[in-house]
Amino acid sequence: MTDAALSRPAPLPRPGEALLDKLLSGRGIWPAVPAIVVLVVVAVIPFVMLLSLGFSDIEMSRGAIVSQTFSLAHLTGALADPLYWTTFQRSLSLALSTMLICIVFGYPVAYLYLIGGRWTRRLILILTIAPLLTSGIVRTYAWLVILGGRGVVNMTLMQMGLIDRPLRIVNTHWAVLIGMAQIHLPVMILPLIAVMSRQDRRLEEASANLGASRMGTLRHVILPLSAPGIATGAALVFTLSYTTFVVPQLLGGGNYLNAATMIYEQVVYSLEWSKGSVTALILMVTCLMVLVVIALISNHFTRWTKGRDA
Amino acid sequence: MRLPGRTAITDALGTGALILMAVLALVILTAPSIIVLMISFDTRAFVSFPPQGFTLRWYAQVFEQSVLVEAMLNSLRVGLTVTLLCILLGVPTAIVCVRGRFRGTTALSIFVLVPHMVPGIVLGVAVLFAGALVGIGPSIWLQSVSITVFVLAVMVRTVMSRLQRLDPALEEAAANLGATPLQSLRTITFPLLMPAILAGAVFTFIEGFDNISVAIFTHGFRDRPLPVELLAMVQTTNTPLVAAVSGVQILLAVIALILVAASVGLDGVND
Repeated sequence: MTDAALSRPAPLPRPGEALLDKLLSGRGIWPAVPAIVVLVVVAVIPFVMLLSLGFSDIEMSRGAIVSQTFSLAHLTGALADPLYWTTFQRSLSLALSTMLICIVFGYPVAYLYLIGGRWTRRLILILTIAPLLTSGIVRTYAWLVILGGRGVVNMTLMQMGLIDRPLRIVNTHWAVLIGMAQIHLPVMILPLIAVMSRQDRRLEEASANLGASRMGTLRHVILPLSAPGIATGAALVFTLSYTTFVVPQLLGGGNYLNAATMIYEQVVYSLEWSKGSVTALILMVTCLMVLVVIALISNHFTRWTKGRDA
Repeated sequence: MRLPGRTAITDALGTGALILMAVLALVILTAPSIIVLMISFDTRAFVSFPPQGFTLRWYAQVFEQSVLVEAMLNSLRVGLTVTLLCILLGVPTAIVCVRGRFRGTTALSIFVLVPHMVPGIVLGVAVLFAGALVGIGPSIWLQSVSITVFVLAVMVRTVMSRLQRLDPALEEAAANLGATPLQSLRTITFPLLMPAILAGAVFTFIEGFDNISVAIFTHGFRDRPLPVELLAMVQTTNTPLVAAVSGVQILLAVIALILVAASVGLDGVND
């Protein structure tokens, strides 16, 4: 490099670029402003309106709202309606059992990832991520094919001579539970793998050197350290299962009602928007309450492991 | 070895049981898609197992039915719009969240991530109602913008995690050598962020293409996207046609998977 090149002054920014530079340096808040505006307009304001709709009587004509007055009638009406209680109870128990099944089946997969070699790990990642890239409807449809009247399960059982006529599996609570658990399993596995692969492998070696068995290491070292992963996965699976309507709609049949299908019917079919708002708000608040409980339980466990570290 | 025999046996049993469970889980995870693929080549006009014969007739039908083709094109438009908006809005936001020198960067990143944690169905209903209050009806645009808000967090998070691991010294070096912020952004930061942006683009595109929870409330009545069309179809059609549509979507997923593996690597998905 010549001296001339080294001593050449830095190019002066053109006036337009100077302004751009200021905006783009990323030190100030400006580059984020468009995103903030969009989020406020399309998420915050609609949510406030949802709140206001839930607490008001409205009059509609041709898809537009013409008058709105404050009222608690929809909330008290919902809380007094036994249909709401059974529906939300069903949603809650469905989502909680899905969550438990996903933990029971997801944890061994994450453990296999932890102890597995390079190709095992790669295979697990492919098999876990691929379903997430496929549409939920496609994955639910697969279960219709498997559990349906002429589906895999029934045809196999009939060929084996175990049953004469197809069992009714689709349109039952069990079909919804099976489909839901399988569809949300990857969402449980990924956070578990993330947390477990960040663990210090020397802790396992130390545990083995101190004479612990493999199961002992799993119970006393790996499991407590992966508690945050379990919590993250559980929270995600719960939220998705609690608020989905595709799986109940397709596998539960027309009469199967959970909170999400209830909202769908109120909003799209019967056009009871205030009722729909209240249902959506109850769904969100109850969902948040469960998430807080999951976070508290997880905190309890991680504090316990942190205390042991000290 | 001090290990008594009993522990060795429980160890072997326990590990074996866990591995068995894991294999079972992986089979359950994969088998349904394979069964659907098998059904999609069945020659009979109803869904039954095991499939008989081999035909591509259902795949041909997918592309002959104008309703389905239009639905796919609509979803393609939504997917591309969502991806573009997420890049334009998300990348600058991610840079600010990591590099910003003002109080409230943490608050900003939380604010951006929250809409993704709100159930999609609640966001969809809220946008539909808010639109009605100000006179904006459901349309392909309303659908695209709502899904953008829903998945913006994915793009921001992917880019942020890459940015956090970048060596700030690289940008400082560029500045010391006389590069303006714009130049260093263009020649240093963006190329280094490209893999993360690509991975984020794949995930936001898939969400735009496949999302149903937000889309069902916000889509235009004339531009029905594929998931809405498919949901109706699954409930009314009993031919392997739906399986063929699924086959097309599974192919799309495989392409997406290869793109992700090539951009951030499969391990990068979690960060």
